Amino acid sequence: MNVQAENHDGVLVAKVEGRVDSSNSQDFERQLQAAIGDDIGAVVMDLGQLAYISSAGLRVVLLVAKTLGQRNVSISLCALSDPVQSVFEISGFNRIIRIHDTQADALAAAGK
Amino acid sequence: MSDGTRARAARSANPDYKILVVDDEPDLERLVKQRMRRHIRSGRYGFEFAGNGIEALEKLTEIRDIDIVLSDINMPKMDGLTLLQQIPEVNADIRSVIVSAYGDMENIRTAMNRGAFDFVTKPIDFADLQVTIDRTLRHLDEWRAALASRDKLVALQNELDVATKIQQSILPDQFPHVDGCEVYGCMEAARNVGGDFFDVIRLEGGSLGLAVADVSDKGVPAALFMMSSRTLLKGAAVGIGHPGAVLSEVNDLLNETNDAAMFVTVFYGVYDPASKVLTFSNGGHNPPLVVHADGSSEELELTGGIALGAVPQFEYGQASVQLRPGDMVVFFTDGVTEAVNPRSDEFGLEAVQALFEDGETRSAQEAAEMILKAVREFAGEAPQFDDLTCMILRVADE
Repeated sequence: MNVQAENHDGVLVAKVEGRVDSSNSQDFERQLQAAIGDDIGAVVMDLGQLAYISSAGLRVVLLVAKTLGQRNVSISLCALSDPVQSVFEISGFNRIIRIHDTQADALAAAGK
Repeated sequence: MSDGTRARAARSANPDYKILVVDDEPDLERLVKQRMRRHIRSGRYGFEFAGNGIEALEKLTEIRDIDIVLSDINMPKMDGLTLLQQIPEVNADIRSVIVSAYGDMENIRTAMNRGAFDFVTKPIDFADLQVTIDRTLRHLDEWRAALASRDKLVALQNELDVATKIQQSILPDQFPHVDGCEVYGCMEAARNVGGDFFDVIRLEGGSLGLAVADVSDKGVPAALFMMSSRTLLKGAAVGIGHPGAVLSEVNDLLNETNDAAMFVTVFYGVYDPASKVLTFSNGGHNPPLVVHADGSSEELELTGGIALGAVPQFEYGQASVQLRPGDMVVFFTDGVTEAVNPRSDEFGLEAVQALFEDGETRSAQEAAEMILKAVREFAGEAPQFDDLTCMILRVADE
C-alpha cells in the first residue's frame, strides 16, 4: 500500500495503491494524514490503483472524511475499481462520501 | 454427616460464584432457591438476597467476592438504575444483569448506558436466566484471565488475545429450539482481529431475531465497541421489533460517543416461523444468501442502509422475503468471501453458492460447518486475515 499526494491548484489529490486491510490500516491513516496537511481547500482520493479495501481501511476513510468535514474541507473519491466500488455500496459509504467516475470529474466538482 | 454431605456443605458454604439477587418481591428468594437448588447444592452458585438498592450496596460492601448482581428496576428506597451507577464504586469487577418488563425499552436503554451487561425479562424464565448467568460468568472468567495476563505483558499480541477472549465470551453457544426452523452459528477468530459477532434473540410471539455483524478494525477498542453493539442491539430488538427501527436506534446510540470513527456492519432480520417471512434491515453488511432446496441461491436485496456508528439520525429501511420449506438463509461476514489462498485469490461468493449446488439436504449445523471447512481448505497455508462467521437459518421441510 502506498499513498502519493499531488497538489492541483489547492486541491489535494491522494493516489492510493495496493491493498488496505487491518494489517496496514494504521500506516494508511498516517500516510493520508501526512499527505493532507493543514493548508488545503479540498481533497480528492484517487482509488484507481487500489485493489482491495477492508473495513479497517473504510474506517480510516471515514475518520479522514469526518475530520475534514469539521474543517469544512470537501472530500470525494474517484476512479473506483468494481470490487472497491462494491465495498462502498454494500457498506453504504457511497451515501456518505461523494464518488466520481474519473479524477477529472472529481476535480471539476471540487470547484476548480 | 457422611463425607459426601460434608463435602457438599463445604462447597455450598463457599460456592464457585456468588450472585446477589435484588428484588422487593419477597417470594423471589424462595423461588430462586427452589429452581436453582441443583446448582446451589453442587456448589456452583451461591445466592445472596437484598430487598432494594440500599440493602444491595450494604451486602456488596460486606461480601467482597460477589460476581453478579441480578437486579429488578422498580424498588423502594433505591431503584435498580440508581444501584447500577453505584456498583462500580463498591466493586468494579461485578457484572450486572437487569430484570425488566418485556419491551420496556427506555429502562433497558438507560440500564445498558449505565453499564448493565445483560438483561432478562419478566416473568423470569429460569432456563433463560441460567443461560444468561452462565454466559455472564463465562465472560467474567475470560475478562479476569485476560486482565491478569495483561497485567504481566503489555505486548500488542497480548492485547489482541484480550480482544479475542472478549469476543468469544459473548457469542451464543446454545440455539433456541423453535418449531418449524433451526438455527446454528459459528465463528473462527483470526489471530489479530476481534470484530465479528452473531446473535439469536427470542422475541415476543414466537419470532426470532437474527443478527450478524462485523466491527471495523481490531484490538481491544474494537472488541469493546462490539460488546456494546451487541448489547444495544439485543435491547433494541426486544424493545422495538421492526428491524429498520432497531438499526436506527442502535445507530443513534453508537453515534453518541464514537470519536474513533468506528463502525459496525449489521444485518438484522426477524423471522416469523408461522408465516415463514423474514423481515430484515441491512446496515452496510454483506447480503445473506437464500439457498433453496434444489440448490439454487440468490442474495437478499440491500435495504439502503449504512454501517452503524458512521452517521447519526439515519433512517434504516427494511424489506421482507417469503421463505419456503427447506430454504436456508446463509448469514456470513466478509471474512468468508474475502478469504485468500496462497496465490492471493479470493474465495468469493460464487464458491459459497457452488457448495450448495448439489441440492443435498443438510442441517443448519452441517451447512455452516461445510462452509467454514471449505474456506479453510481453500486458504491452505495462507494466514487468516479476518474472522470467519457463518450463521444459518433453516426452514423445516414440509
